Formats: sequence, structure tokens, C-alpha cells
Amino acid sequence: MLKVSGLSVAYGGLQALAGVSLEVAEGEFVAIVGPNGAGKSTLMKAVAGGVSLAAGSIEYRGQDIGGLPSHARARLGIAHVPEGRKVFPSLTVLENLEMGSYRPAARRRRADGLDTVFGLFPVLRERRDQLAGSLSGGEQQMLALGRGLMAQPDLLLLDEPSQGLGPRIVEGIFEAIAAIRKSHRVTILLVEQRVVEALELCDRGYVLETGRVVLGGDRETLLADPRVQHAYLGT
Amino acid sequence: MPLGDLVQYVVTGLLVGGVYALMSIGLALIFGVMKVVNFAQGDFMMLGMYLTYFLAVGYGVDPLLGALLTIPPFFVLGLLVHRTLLVRVTGGGNPQRLMDAQLILTLGLSLIITNATTMILTPMPRGIQTAYATQAFAVGPILMNQARSYAFLMALVLAGLVYVFLTRTDVGKALRAAADEPEAAGYQGIDVRAMHGLAFGVGIALVAAAGGLLATYHPIEPTVAVNFIVLMFVAVVLGGLGSIPGAFAGGLVIGLVQSLTLLVLPFQLQNAGVFIAFLLVLYLRPQGLFGQRLRAV
Repeated sequence: MLKVSGLSVAYGGLQALAGVSLEVAEGEFVAIVGPNGAGKSTLMKAVAGGVSLAAGSIEYRGQDIGGLPSHARARLGIAHVPEGRKVFPSLTVLENLEMGSYRPAARRRRADGLDTVFGLFPVLRERRDQLAGSLSGGEQQMLALGRGLMAQPDLLLLDEPSQGLGPRIVEGIFEAIAAIRKSHRVTILLVEQRVVEALELCDRGYVLETGRVVLGGDRETLLADPRVQHAYLGT
Repeated sequence: MPLGDLVQYVVTGLLVGGVYALMSIGLALIFGVMKVVNFAQGDFMMLGMYLTYFLAVGYGVDPLLGALLTIPPFFVLGLLVHRTLLVRVTGGGNPQRLMDAQLILTLGLSLIITNATTMILTPMPRGIQTAYATQAFAVGPILMNQARSYAFLMALVLAGLVYVFLTRTDVGKALRAAADEPEAAGYQGIDVRAMHGLAFGVGIALVAAAGGLLATYHPIEPTVAVNFIVLMFVAVVLGGLGSIPGAFAGGLVIGLVQSLTLLVLPFQLQNAGVFIAFLLVLYLRPQGLFGQRLRAV
């Protein structure tokens, strides 16, 4: 479904990604783990259209999308839940969710989408008329996830959904992701610093370090890999 | 001073303030969505006054209707100015350099429009003669100039329509989303550049319509912008930068302060009262009257 080949991205001369290649098949749940500054978020932004590419290509369902602006990629069914949540603070919770279903294909199914999201996160229903900026960090993350789901995406990009949240809330967020995975036919690409949780959820994963893929494989292989165990699992 | 006089000044001030409010929400919308300070806003208002004038003189169109008729052509003009000029100085790039470029562009646009208008139409002031400009509604002892009353009502209706558009339609919400978090708006499928064009088109159309309403009782000349652009800026800052209801309230407050200043200062110093009130608000409430870290629209 998604094929990234030789992807390089640079910010003002600083190389953030250097020749990254990876693939995500239809229906798969792929996790990308790695330390801070490895380029994980840059990779997600590059797929979603938030940064321009220095080299390489991004193919989505056989179409080269590397040159498309972010809104055109969203309309193809790619939903990006960005790092730092980036909810619309001066819009209400409900308006945020409505904006998630802005693309025509999702607009028609807005009522279904709201049912799904409110079922998953009842607190959002309670706060539907509250401004998103007044929500707690955990609630904002739920809203960002819900907004992504409202797009009825084929490919869901989740960038550090656990960032800056307390352990109990993180647990809830990961449970929600697992539930989404169960009940929806959606392909997920997840970026996480919490390596254990991410790898346990996924089918397959990649380890990214200093802008390069250093390791890739299915869940069991990665969890059993001595380098992963040593660097991330603390054993 | 008798109470009746005070009420009269308040009413007069609010009536004028309604038109200030309408011109200011155009500026606030452009700033809110594009983060561009449009110094040419007053000049588009001036052009709106002239279009209303020529419709009245050439085709006998009532200026209140003329003000509405300015909306479609100025919306298109706004889209074109965005597409050809503003798009070059918004979006990606070094923020400081972009801001410099925006300042030079809109200030330059303002100079060109003022001077081209002076060249083509001469600096001679013109006015539209209407029956209602010299008549007043009497409510008890309070007199309300008819032209200003109609202009006030139309400003109120137009501002209300903008508010409904921004809060009840998907495109209006997308406009606000693009103002809040442009990057995330793109990820939802919102074309942020198109939203900039829309904001600029609507912003210019609103200020042109406000100019048309103003033309029912205010003389029209190429340099009329300088008297109003400052008031618009004050209204937008008073209301909390970029907030639409705030800018509307800011416009009303300015009309009110202008009018009440006449109680203590001569006519020529009318705007001195506005600036004193402005400085007071900035000192006591630097985020503006309606400015919050979170705002409703």
C-alpha cells in the first residue's frame, strides 16, 4: 500500500532522513521505533506531505505522491495524527471532529464517524461543545486520534501518540489504538518512543536511528533481537 | 449635562461604530487566517466607496444597494490580488523575511491604489445625495440620522452573515481551522492556500461594502483611507488580534469613544479620545477586550 524508497529529507542543511526505505502492506500495522532525533517524525511528515523531499519517492497504492501537497494526500485517504496533537484550539471538540471528516469521501459518513469516535472516547461526547484548547493533554490526544478516524482513512499515520502523557492515559491511548485496529479495516503506521508498547501492538516494525533504518522485521524477530533488547528494552 | 444629551451621543456613536465594526472584521479575518497585516485595507474601502458612488451617479442605484453590489466584484478582486501577489509572500519561508515582504507589498499596494485613484479621478471630494442622509428618525428626544441607521443595520446583518458562515458551514470552520493550525488543517484535506484566498476575498469584499455604506453619509476622496485604516487597526487590536467578534466590538467601541470625546474635546481631536482609550486598554488588558489564549471564533 505504502512504499517509501531512498527517502531523504534535510532541514536547512541538516540531514534528518538519509535514504530510508520501507513498505507497509494493506491491512498491516507497522511500527517505527527509535530514539529521540532519529527522524521518526520527519518520516511521518514526509509521508503526510508536511515536509518536502530532498531525494527518494513515496508511492501510495501505486501512485507517486511525493510531490502532492498534504491536503491532496489527505483526500486520497491518508490521515495523519501529528506529533504534539495539533488540535484546532479555538474550535470546539465537535468542530474539530467535523474537520477530520472534511474530505468529501468522509463527509458523507460523518454521523457514522461521530458514533465510532464517541463510542471509543465517551469523554469527547461530554465535551463536544468545549473549546479543544481547554482540554487536558490526554483528551487532546483522544481528540487528535478521533479527528484522524473521522477521515475514514485507509492509511492512518500515528506520530508519538503517547508523548507528554501520564502512564495511565498512555495505557488508555494504546488500548484505543488496539480497539481501532480490531474494529476497522485500516492500515496503521505508528511512530513511538515507547518501544515495548509499540512493538507489542504491531505486526511488523522498523528501528530508525540517525535518519537510517537499522533494523526491520516482524514483531517476534524485533522483540527477540539482542540489539533491540539491549538498547530499548533494558535487558 | 442632561442625561438625554449623553444618550444621544451614545446612540450616534454606536450607529457610526457599526460601520467601523464591519470594516474591521474584514481586516481581522485577513490577519486571523493569513497572519498578514493588510495596510491596503483602507484603500479597498475607498474603492468600494467610489464604485458605490458611480453606481449611484451613473445608474441611479441607491448607495445602500450599491454597497451590497460591491461585494461580488471585490470578492473576485481579493482572490486575484491573493493569487497574483500575496501568495508570493505567504506560506513557507523565513518568517521575518516574509513579514518584511508582506509589509512592503501591502504598503506599496496602498500607495499605488491611492495615487492611481488620485490621478484618474482627481483629488476632488465627491458625495452621494440621498434623501435619507439629511433626515432623522426621532425616538422620543433622541435623533438618529437615517443614513447612519440604515448603514448600521446593514453592517449588523452582513457581520451576522459572516459569523454564521464561520460557525455553521464546513468551509467557514475550515477557514478557522486553517487560522488555528495551518499544518494540521492540511492533514485534514483543507487546502490552506485556497483558504487564504477565500479569507482575502471575503475580507476585501467586507471592507468595500463598509465603504459603500460609509458613502451614504461621508465624502469620497482618494485619500479617505488614512482616516479609517488607523481606526480599523485600533479596532482589531482592541478586540484581540484576529478575533472576529472582538473586531466587531472594537469597531463599536471606537464609534462610541469618538462620539463621547466630543463631549469634552473639539471635533478635530475626536481621534485623540480613541487613542487614549486604546492606550488605556493596552495598558490594562494587553490581550485586547476579547483576546484570550483561547477564543471562540
